[in-house]
Amino acid sequence: MSNLSFTSRVPAFDANVGVGHRNNRRYPFDEPLQLVEEMARHGVDQALVYACHGETISPMHGNEALERWTGGENGLVPQYMVGADPESLRQIQGLHASGLVTHVRLHCTEMSRTPFVDWIYAPVLEWLVAEDLPLWVSMADTPPTEIVDTLTGYPDLRAVIVGAHYAHSAMALPMLRVLPNATLELSRYENTQGIEQLVEAVGANRLIYGSFFPRYAMGPILYMLNHLSIDDSDLAAICAGNVEKLIEGSVTDDK
Amino acid sequence: MIEGQEIIDFHGHVGPWDVYGMYDDDSAMVKAMDAVGIDRSCLFNIFHPDGTSGNDQTAAFVARHPDRFVGFAYVSPLMPERIEKELGRAVDELGCVAIKIYPPYSTWKMTDPVWDPVYAFADDRGLALISHTGPEETCQPEQVGIVAARFPNANFVVGHAGNMEPFRTQAIEAAQANKNVYLETCSTFREPGVVERLVTEAGADRVVFGSDVPLMDPRSQLGKIITAGISDDAKRLVLGENAKRLLGMNYSQ
Repeated sequence: MSNLSFTSRVPAFDANVGVGHRNNRRYPFDEPLQLVEEMARHGVDQALVYACHGETISPMHGNEALERWTGGENGLVPQYMVGADPESLRQIQGLHASGLVTHVRLHCTEMSRTPFVDWIYAPVLEWLVAEDLPLWVSMADTPPTEIVDTLTGYPDLRAVIVGAHYAHSAMALPMLRVLPNATLELSRYENTQGIEQLVEAVGANRLIYGSFFPRYAMGPILYMLNHLSIDDSDLAAICAGNVEKLIEGSVTDDK
Repeated sequence: MIEGQEIIDFHGHVGPWDVYGMYDDDSAMVKAMDAVGIDRSCLFNIFHPDGTSGNDQTAAFVARHPDRFVGFAYVSPLMPERIEKELGRAVDELGCVAIKIYPPYSTWKMTDPVWDPVYAFADDRGLALISHTGPEETCQPEQVGIVAARFPNANFVVGHAGNMEPFRTQAIEAAQANKNVYLETCSTFREPGVVERLVTEAGADRVVFGSDVPLMDPRSQLGKIITAGISDDAKRLVLGENAKRLLGMNYSQ
């Protein structure tokens, strides 16, 4: 049952948090500590954080700015971003050689006008497969058809598909079926009973919690997850366990 | 019920819309409501311009769980000759307790006289009227403010509170200028700080919780209110007390 206040009853690891201002959006916080306090308010222990600046303007500059947020022992884990420019891939490869990269996020392909197609992104995708690094890609920023058409060519690539909306309700399950190595992040997936249906269809190990902060408030989806009709073990996996396995290099089980 | 507070969801839909996963599944709706303590959901069918077809479906749906669902009447200026008669039937015979309009399904702005019979009915009966609002040309929230001043006995609920900027600001300004304007919270745009701003700038007594169930799960939309940085007293007003006052119903448990 619900209360007028809320904190997650299981450990929570937010798999989708942006930091810093964007060219067209002011960030609500100035300091990492403020973000950590907001996370703590909802019971979020850790978060993967990417630079909002990298979404639309410069993944490379955004990656450079990320250290200011992730430098301390504050639960903020860097999520480096890659774009279509070869220099962007070289930057990521350099960071990886330094032991800093556990996974990679694709920039906003629509706003950057570089469609997510193999003839542009093959070098990035081939490198990710070779290094067994998961790729985060946003359905809010890259057309679903491009995601599916491109990722089906890389069956060994582990992908986290971010930001499926209720308007994508007819696509989510077919997408997970055609991409057996994909995990769905749930920040915008709020169809009534929709997550329970996905758990039933593909298993909780294919789903992870993310808030998509600051596009979206951090608490509401975590609140919903804590009130799903699912087992506590499934809840724990969705809220933290699955993303921990992904960035630690464990291969996601298929179901 | 949450900590003794009756919870009323002011925005929900009847009618299959299967491309978005809406199947008129009352059991799924009640299950989601029960999971978080939502007592009642206000429902309407916006898919039939004659009004009658959808209002009959709404009444039948409400009848499946009359202790959990509340029906609102829907009419459209696409069939203006039906408006007054259908509103009378829906309220007096079907038991609808408020009115829903959806201007994007027509070409007329909310300020166009074609809508006046709807407002006049609400004004005459002292009913609440909720309208979709947002960036659409037919229903930007500043129009609600203009109409609300002309029909002071009706209460106007700004659905989605304008959804996004600059329309959210328009919604707040409409509420500040008119004591009969309320702001409803459901929206797929869930930026941080929105609920806090509505409560701070329009007043906690002028904000009502809505979810858009079943298009959106009421649990995440309720979570917007529960996880917002507002006082428990404000949450109680938003989650139930304001809706009870608007609907003028004595909910005895």
